[in-house]
Amino acid sequence: MVQYKLSYFPVRGLGEVSRFIFHYANIPFEDNRIGGDDWQKYKSETPFGQMPVLEADGKVLAQSFAIARYLARKHGLAGKDDWESAQLDSIADLLKDFNTELRPYFGIIMGHSKDNKDEVYKTVFKPTLEKNLPILEKLLKDSGSGFFAKSGVSWVDFHVASYIETLEGLGPDVVANYKEITKHKAKVYALPQLKKYLDSRPKTQF
Amino acid sequence: MVQYKLIYYPVRGLAETTRLILHYANVPYEDKHISFEEWPNMKTTTPFGQLPILEVDGKPLAQSFAIARFLAKKHGFAGKDDWESAQLDAIADFMKEDITTECRSYFMARMSCGEGDKDELHNTVFKTSMEKNMPVLEKLLKESGSGFFAKSGVSWVDFYIASFIETFERLIPSVMSVYKDLLKHKETVYALPQLKKYLESRPKTQF
Repeated sequence: MVQYKLSYFPVRGLGEVSRFIFHYANIPFEDNRIGGDDWQKYKSETPFGQMPVLEADGKVLAQSFAIARYLARKHGLAGKDDWESAQLDSIADLLKDFNTELRPYFGIIMGHSKDNKDEVYKTVFKPTLEKNLPILEKLLKDSGSGFFAKSGVSWVDFHVASYIETLEGLGPDVVANYKEITKHKAKVYALPQLKKYLDSRPKTQF
Repeated sequence: MVQYKLIYYPVRGLAETTRLILHYANVPYEDKHISFEEWPNMKTTTPFGQLPILEVDGKPLAQSFAIARFLAKKHGFAGKDDWESAQLDAIADFMKEDITTECRSYFMARMSCGEGDKDELHNTVFKTSMEKNMPVLEKLLKESGSGFFAKSGVSWVDFYIASFIETFERLIPSVMSVYKDLLKHKETVYALPQLKKYLESRPKTQF
């Protein structure tokens, strides 16, 4: 049996999608949550000086989506065929673009930027959500399965649900207007295979 | 036979990886160019309001990496197995996030379509990113040993990186000239015989 270790900061962020995959597929893994000095010590051992990093029998893989896609493929959570996998990949990369657009606001929340929070909420956060959430809702509608793939749940549902949880925390009034995406998050979080993990995991803002 | 149509602006940008894949694999496709002026009119017809789009027998697929990975997988150059494919995915995502996205403000200023002082951004954004990240790519090439990013040989990620190194080299040759292994990698990719005809005939674009 493969020995898995997932190293990431003690937040959901880019690691939660892979944690969900492991728990959903009932695969044991070491959920190595590190930060501070421990991270500084580990950093130079990582391929790109970043986390998350997956170790599989000691072999190292970096980059959150490369890790998630690799694990998802192994456990039937990456679409039913190459075309559906590709559609899922495109939705995941759209989320990345969405996140890049939100960086000016996240920067303020995380204390890297001294820009005015209320101003950037109005000029960046709200419009970016109003642009992107309808796209995600249309994709859900086109799928019809309640998940992003017609064939059922995938790694992309895990990533989107966790991201929406973060956005809900930062802008509950905006996200509340998007009933389908809110329903999607609830549906993912109601999956019985995730219950034990969801009940026990640390609650984090990101 | 599958009908492919690749829709993008008349530049290399995020579509060149896919064009190189299709030429390398000798797969016929329609290389549709949409001008920057025409784009606003067709934007709402696309899945995400973005280009490139690949139409496969009329069905659309968005996002440059989803497109490249799908085609590369079909034609046998997305890594020899799932682990190698994942390693390639990681390199591509690193290049996209840490290099091209981080440097976007600099490129926009250089191409006079963004705010920001290009000389200031050169020193604060571009130079910093290159000095931090180019050595990482060179180390990966060295570890592979094949001359390409995958030990098993050429992949879509070689096409992606070569095209961006070409762009960076055109923009700032003085910064890029120290990264000899990356420049050599670009030459190795561009010397692939399957790409010769396309490389000789394609339009020369700044980016």
